Amino acid sequence: MKHEDGRSVTAYIGISLRETDDGHIVGIVRDIDHVRDASGAVRAGALVTMLDSAGGMCSGLAALPDGWVVTTNITARTVRLDHVGPLRADARVLRTGRHSVVTAVEICDDGNDGALVTDGVVTSAILVPADGPPQWERPVVIERGRSTHDPLPFSEWLRAKPIDARTVELDLHEEFRNPWGILHGGATAALADVAAEVAGSHALASPAGAADGVLRYLAPGRVGPFRAVPRVVAVEGDRALVEVRVVDAGADDRIIAFAQLTLARRPG
Amino acid sequence: MTPTYPPERHVLRDLRLQFEPREDGSHVSMPVVPELCGDDGAVRAGALCTLVDVIGGGLAAVSAQPNWIATADLTLHVTAAARADETVHADAHVVRAGRTTVVIEVALSTDRPIGVATMSFSVLPRRDSNPDLGAIRPAGPSTMALPTSGFTQPFFDCIGIEVVDAAAGVVELPVRDWARNSMGALQGGIVGAVAEAAGEAALRAASGTSLVVTDLQLTYLSFGRVGPLRTSTTVFAANADGGVARVELVDIGAEARRMTLARVRATRART
Repeated sequence: MKHEDGRSVTAYIGISLRETDDGHIVGIVRDIDHVRDASGAVRAGALVTMLDSAGGMCSGLAALPDGWVVTTNITARTVRLDHVGPLRADARVLRTGRHSVVTAVEICDDGNDGALVTDGVVTSAILVPADGPPQWERPVVIERGRSTHDPLPFSEWLRAKPIDARTVELDLHEEFRNPWGILHGGATAALADVAAEVAGSHALASPAGAADGVLRYLAPGRVGPFRAVPRVVAVEGDRALVEVRVVDAGADDRIIAFAQLTLARRPG
Repeated sequence: MTPTYPPERHVLRDLRLQFEPREDGSHVSMPVVPELCGDDGAVRAGALCTLVDVIGGGLAAVSAQPNWIATADLTLHVTAAARADETVHADAHVVRAGRTTVVIEVALSTDRPIGVATMSFSVLPRRDSNPDLGAIRPAGPSTMALPTSGFTQPFFDCIGIEVVDAAAGVVELPVRDWARNSMGALQGGIVGAVAEAAGEAALRAASGTSLVVTDLQLTYLSFGRVGPLRTSTTVFAANADGGVARVELVDIGAEARRMTLARVRATRART
């Protein structure tokens, strides 16, 4: 078993992973209150991190023995907002090719009779690391307990800051690096989520949260700070379509991620 | 493209697309005819999906040269209705061209914006059967339409879509030469039309309302070459204002191999 603690992305979200049968991964997040938005629903960025964590591990195991994976894109559609918890992410491989793995991930609410919360697909590129893929004791078990103190509120943990009317910026804090030293995909998702929420809420003149979206990881985030620049594409009824470009401002504004999110009005 | 693709009767000809390469991307226009519209009078999401896949695939193929490409996923958001006698303009740009993936974004408009799309394409090693872009891509404006090209029946009928069980979102279709891509499989945009048909049927049955599909998100898993192809649909939520469903498409003739997973969102018809 592997234990983690602290402010890292996966430790903050608190997702434990368990391989139940060959290659099938179940992720559990027991405590969700610290990642709820103002309406009480779990933030889209946290849900995407769950998809990435469970889906990424599932995809990685499918790429063994020679390869491992890096997430290239995540699609998510959240179908209900009355989240009770704990939340369970169920990941199964749909297709393993020579160059990529596609994994389906469903997040269900074990506190609400297993109701489906989010339906997702994680696509990963297969890479062959120079030092070989990570070595895992099988079946994989990663327990992530809560840190000894109460987790910070989401905004205090992320520390994203507005730098103008649209742009939100995030520094490359050490705890936001993944095992390869680049910005963790979950931190990218959280940053895009915040930027889209600000833009969508303004466009709808109401609190709003992401109902569905696709997040594409285009390049590693190595330097920072990272800036998320939203653009409201369309507003119709109680929904706004928002595009977010995340760039590495310390690397000539190289675009590292691109998201299209549908924001829907949330009860305040 | 090889000299024999597309054949004389083919969706890419009947859509009467007008191609216009641009220095910083690509532009394709598509006239909207009644046969491409749903019962709300607006051009179907599946027709726009085909337009998007064509322009995106063409631009991605240029970016990936000398290799070839296959569509990995496609997301389409239709934000306004385009109607018969209007022309839809698609403008595509490369967001990123990498060693293994090309990402394209497409803006759709008439005299106003009507939608956006993004796609990821997997870069594949070139095969002899892949079209030679240098031979078939003119420098200036072009079209694949012939004098005889055009639609004489509704889009879904041309594809051969048959609704088997509306409430369950089950539709079936053959793989017709009219809708094959250059690799002999069902064209990627047409897969979007199939997902639209299945999602529309299921969401209308679930909601009791004539909902219209406005958003498609497609993950392509394998080619559909044999047929018949069949969908199954799970409705996540549906009411009179809209609904969301997941559609799975399999190739029955290839041991029910899973082809595509799609998420479909439908809303009330736009006035």
